Amino acid sequence: MSREIDELIGEFERLTEDCAKFLFITRGKEFQQEAVEKLSALKQKISLFKEKAVEKEDEDSANLALSLELFISAFISELEMWMELKEDNPNKAWDYLADAQLFARDAAQAHRIVQERAERYANKLYLLEKLLFPPQIFLSPGFIHTKEECSICGKEYGECEHIKGKAYMGKICHTIMKDIEIKEVSFVNEPAGKYRRVLQLTDEHGITRDLMTWKRIEKVD
Amino acid sequence: MLKISDYLDVKKRAQEIGCNVPETLALIPRNFESARSKEDLVHESSALTVRKLWQQNNIIETPIEKPGEKLPLVAEAAFEWIGPTIFVSAMLLSQNPNLVAIALNVISNYLTDWFRGVVKETRKVKLNVIVETKDGDYKKLEYEGPPEGLKNLSGVIKAVCKKNE
Repeated sequence: MSREIDELIGEFERLTEDCAKFLFITRGKEFQQEAVEKLSALKQKISLFKEKAVEKEDEDSANLALSLELFISAFISELEMWMELKEDNPNKAWDYLADAQLFARDAAQAHRIVQERAERYANKLYLLEKLLFPPQIFLSPGFIHTKEECSICGKEYGECEHIKGKAYMGKICHTIMKDIEIKEVSFVNEPAGKYRRVLQLTDEHGITRDLMTWKRIEKVD
Repeated sequence: MLKISDYLDVKKRAQEIGCNVPETLALIPRNFESARSKEDLVHESSALTVRKLWQQNNIIETPIEKPGEKLPLVAEAAFEWIGPTIFVSAMLLSQNPNLVAIALNVISNYLTDWFRGVVKETRKVKLNVIVETKDGDYKKLEYEGPPEGLKNLSGVIKAVCKKNE
């Protein structure tokens, strides 16, 4: 299995280096689309390898594959972001950027193999957020819940041995909140996910604008 | 940033609202001071992770919950990590002061991994520690800052205790 890993890592490094040259707004959309296709094909190959590693109960290989998969997903999301920006769809582009940031974070957590690279990449994505998009107003809900389920074993989180944020056999441990009661919604600077944001604002003259484009939004009666 | 203030008598309060009296190390509910009854108490959702980390590192806690009792959890979907309030008794500080440092290191090491892939400037931790001094006073230490700063907290805890000796 180690030879197969080395080959996959080599392929991953070559392809990500090659596709990195299309991570710019000026590049032709057809090249970016082609890069997405190539990256998706490699991701599929890595997923198959991960399945085999899980079957063999080879946790390190499964987590390594997960890390590579997530890094590729982040790259794909960034390419999609550039393509949406060129299509004048900044709101969609924002969502792709938020996806890329989450994938990069998970890639850094899943395995040490791409940790450093994923951390550098996360910094780049943060800079893109600040340079390409206007400041956003984020919303963060606060919950009270009585149960939390572990995404790895399905048991109550307090009663299993898995730890949130760590990778186990090719999966990152998350918790699923149950019996939720929303307590509050607050404005925050750094939310856990950057999808929950204010989309429109109405000023004192009754003019409603899209916060991303500043375009006026006409009311429909 | 570290803020130190007086805190109520934890053991007396635990008795008053029908909780176990914490003897050594314990996790204190977020609203321990203000809850009208035991039924109102809530833990930070990070309490479950901290408990597991301590268990996996053989750090023994004396929970304020009675066996089989579970408190509701509060979670906020912000990027910062909000830790549970940790209680450290005077007895633990005099008999096994290193355990406090180990307990905080375990959390700090976990957070180093947890914040991987998060831009350094945005990594923020909030954690409160209640310290019982030898003369029976209680001090609240409120830490807000980068995860690495947690490792220095055990020194501050010892200094707070010495001040009151």
